Amino acid sequence: MTSNPPNRPLIEVRGLHRYFGKTKAVQDMSFKVFPGEVFGYIGPNGAGKTTSMRILATLDEPTYGNAFVDGFSVVDDPDRVRRRLGFMPDYFGAYQNVNVYEYLDFFARSYGLRGAQRTGAIHYVMDFTQLDKLADKPIDGLSKGMKQRLCLGRTMIHDPAVLILDEPAAGLDPRARIELREMIALLAKNGKAVLISSHILTELAEICDRVGIIEQGKLLAVGSVDEISGRAETISKVQVRVLDGTERLITWLTARDDIADIVQKDRGVAFTHEGGPPKQAELLKQLVQAEFAVVDFASKTKSLEDVFLHVTEGRVQ
Amino acid sequence: MSTADANTTEAERPTQATSNWRNWLEVLEHRVVGLLEWANPILVKETRQALKSKQFLLTFAIVLVACWIVSFAGRAIIGPQIFYIASGQDMLVAYYAILAFPLAVIVPFSAFRSLSAEKEDNTYDLLSITTLSSQQVITGKLGSAILQILIYFSVVSPCIAFTFLLRGVDAVSVALLLGVTLLASIGMSLIGLLAGTMASVRYTQMLLSVGLVLGMAFAFFGAVGVTPELLRESHKMIQDRDFWIGLGGVLTLYLTTFGLLHTAAAAQISFPSENRSTRIRYWMLLQQACFVAWMTVPPLLYPDEPEAVPVLACAAVGIGLIYWYVMGSIMTGEWPHLSRRVQRSLPSSLVGRSLFSWLNPGPASGYVFAVANSGALVALGLITLWANAPFPPFGLSATQISQFMLLGWCYLIIFLGLGRLLVSVLRRVAFVPLAAAFLVHLILMMAAIGVPAVIYSMSSQFRSSGYSLLLATNPFWTLSEVLESGLVSGREMLVYLLPAAAIVTFLLNLRAIGAELSRHRIAAPARVYEEEEELHPHPEPSPTSPWEEDPREPAKV
Ligand SMILES: Nc1ncnc2c1ncn2[C@@H]1O[C@H](COP(=O)(O)OP(=O)(O)OP(=O)(O)O)[C@@H](O)[C@H]1O
Ligand SMILES: [Mg+2]
Repeated sequence: MTSNPPNRPLIEVRGLHRYFGKTKAVQDMSFKVFPGEVFGYIGPNGAGKTTSMRILATLDEPTYGNAFVDGFSVVDDPDRVRRRLGFMPDYFGAYQNVNVYEYLDFFARSYGLRGAQRTGAIHYVMDFTQLDKLADKPIDGLSKGMKQRLCLGRTMIHDPAVLILDEPAAGLDPRARIELREMIALLAKNGKAVLISSHILTELAEICDRVGIIEQGKLLAVGSVDEISGRAETISKVQVRVLDGTERLITWLTARDDIADIVQKDRGVAFTHEGGPPKQAELLKQLVQAEFAVVDFASKTKSLEDVFLHVTEGRVQ
Repeated sequence: MSTADANTTEAERPTQATSNWRNWLEVLEHRVVGLLEWANPILVKETRQALKSKQFLLTFAIVLVACWIVSFAGRAIIGPQIFYIASGQDMLVAYYAILAFPLAVIVPFSAFRSLSAEKEDNTYDLLSITTLSSQQVITGKLGSAILQILIYFSVVSPCIAFTFLLRGVDAVSVALLLGVTLLASIGMSLIGLLAGTMASVRYTQMLLSVGLVLGMAFAFFGAVGVTPELLRESHKMIQDRDFWIGLGGVLTLYLTTFGLLHTAAAAQISFPSENRSTRIRYWMLLQQACFVAWMTVPPLLYPDEPEAVPVLACAAVGIGLIYWYVMGSIMTGEWPHLSRRVQRSLPSSLVGRSLFSWLNPGPASGYVFAVANSGALVALGLITLWANAPFPPFGLSATQISQFMLLGWCYLIIFLGLGRLLVSVLRRVAFVPLAAAFLVHLILMMAAIGVPAVIYSMSSQFRSSGYSLLLATNPFWTLSEVLESGLVSGREMLVYLLPAAAIVTFLLNLRAIGAELSRHRIAAPARVYEEEEELHPHPEPSPTSPWEEDPREPAKV
């Protein structure tokens, strides 16, 4: 099922929109994920991560636009999409009176696996997620981390080429997190395309080949972690103190394109500046030329976290 | 196990019989496991769950205990006479009540709950993105309901066998009673499932569950209430040929309705771009065909009563018109928009388009479908009527009956057409789902009946004069007037008025019909063909008959 040419994206989102009444949960989103790639979704609460993932998983329909899994439209060919897609939602769906083995067995059967193929898949998955010792345990009694593993196991039971994981690391302890990261890296190595969402940036930074920053349903920035970190290097937090004329300084700064997030602090003005050190030197020179009595000029390069805060604005719909 | 067999020692040889027996068991086990492999996954899972579920074991135990209590109490009450009087019937009714409760209430209601429980436990999403089709989901859920029904049967059937020993009960009646109960319970479970697919919001879920519980309680008390009488009459009934023929008719109705409801339930939970309509329309066609076929049976049975035939035709057309009105008011609420997926399989030839376009989803095609089918029924009714014209039916003239049929059809065309127009206008300003569209039809009908009724109740002059043209919007009153006294004294104009209104309504709908008819098939995306090629490679061309040339060889010149 993974016999697709390397240039064809396994996930392609094209101009996707999803409105709930007046709420624009997803707006004009487009990106591609290729085989063997892990794509990270970062965004604040209510950004539209779950909504767009549910559309990809054929659980919801776009208002406009389309999305494709291995070349098949999620709107027109959901049956073909489902065969090659595993979706792990941010909740765990548990059946009562079912143990780990039976749970996996049920989903394996539901994906049409029969006989030795099915038992083989169940054992492979239990081995992969290290659940083999818990086969007979009722799933109601599993711990959060164990449930999360079982959920991942269920997602990959039919060996899908595309995995969509909605906050898989939520609620996991540091060790389980590292293990999950290893599992995902292994899946990507086996040629699967993985779309993963998280609030925790450092976590994504380590496993994602590319990340997309999303807020209010819009994809604000897409790129490899290095590209975005590179952007982090050019963005710095600057703090300036002048002897007098702070008001005039703020007006002067506001007029410039390369400056944002201006805040007046007790003894000066703080803002973010984009452009890297040479441009900063330029800025300082211009400040002096504009006859500001600069007594303090401090700058600090931003972390990925700061970039996130800079790119998104924390608006909630 | 195979290693154990290989190590059989000399000492174990003589037990040839046991090893045969064991082999046979092994084969059986193999078969059962093989069968389970292909069994519906939901059925397998829910059986496993039921075996571990406390609630199920509890109900099971209660039924068992109730059977014991009835047995001992019955024995005690009847006392030593038990071997002399025909007490079997009373005992049977008591056991039947015990059986009917889980079958009429518990199983159908848990079928209703099973889909919403999946939604509450967050498993529904996980289930719906598997490769199971929506039909398989419904069949699996129904399968586990049937399994429960069979288990309850197996608890109570030994007790019922016990009533044979008490005399007063014959095997055929009991088998019939149980058979009908079994089918009814399966049917009710299916209705429960269908209701479960409709209950998406808490509010509708509550309404539906109240309705269902009322219906099930009615079925339970009804079944238990009529059973004693039925058992008393049954020995006469089962000797009556017409009873069995009637049963055949009911069974046909049951089976076709079952298919229709199963398809409808599956359509409810299928993906929105799926074709949810065409299969249901096929079932309607089948149901109509079966109905017409069964209507020919009474005249064949009673060839010496030809004057009953026109009356039968009249009744059949009346039932058919109501059927198509109800179905039509559902179909005309469908969405005019066709998904690309459905457009891929539209009929493409001219003949195909003119014949099969009416089976495509869409409100206008549904309108034409209902109008055409009811029209066919009316035409058949008219032919039957005129073929039997020499026999004057009970006090009715052939004109009255034909007017009844034709005007009834006009009413159907008018009401469905106006309702469809109303829905399409409403859809420009608001979101009107299927259920709301159905409601629009209902309100339209109620207004047509209610408004003249209000005017009547306000004016004493109208009240005293009986039927007048003002009531022309009330189809039921008008049609019964046609049958009772005919259209006389100034009401003859209805014969022209109603068809004219029907034609105008149909013409008003023509634009929408044209729009739906002009939809063309679109090609599936290349990727779909690519996968089809991968999954089902074309067989290499080879000669299909010995005298054909082999296409693989280059043609000889
Ligand atoms: N079924 C729905 N009906 C109405 N609004 C919805 C629905 N689902 C999502 N929304 C809205 O869409 C927006 C995006 O929600 P979504 O769940 O996709 O966010 P998210 O990025 O997954 O957030 P989180 O990080 O909290 O999981 C929110 O404003 C939410 O209120
Ligand atoms: Mg979310």
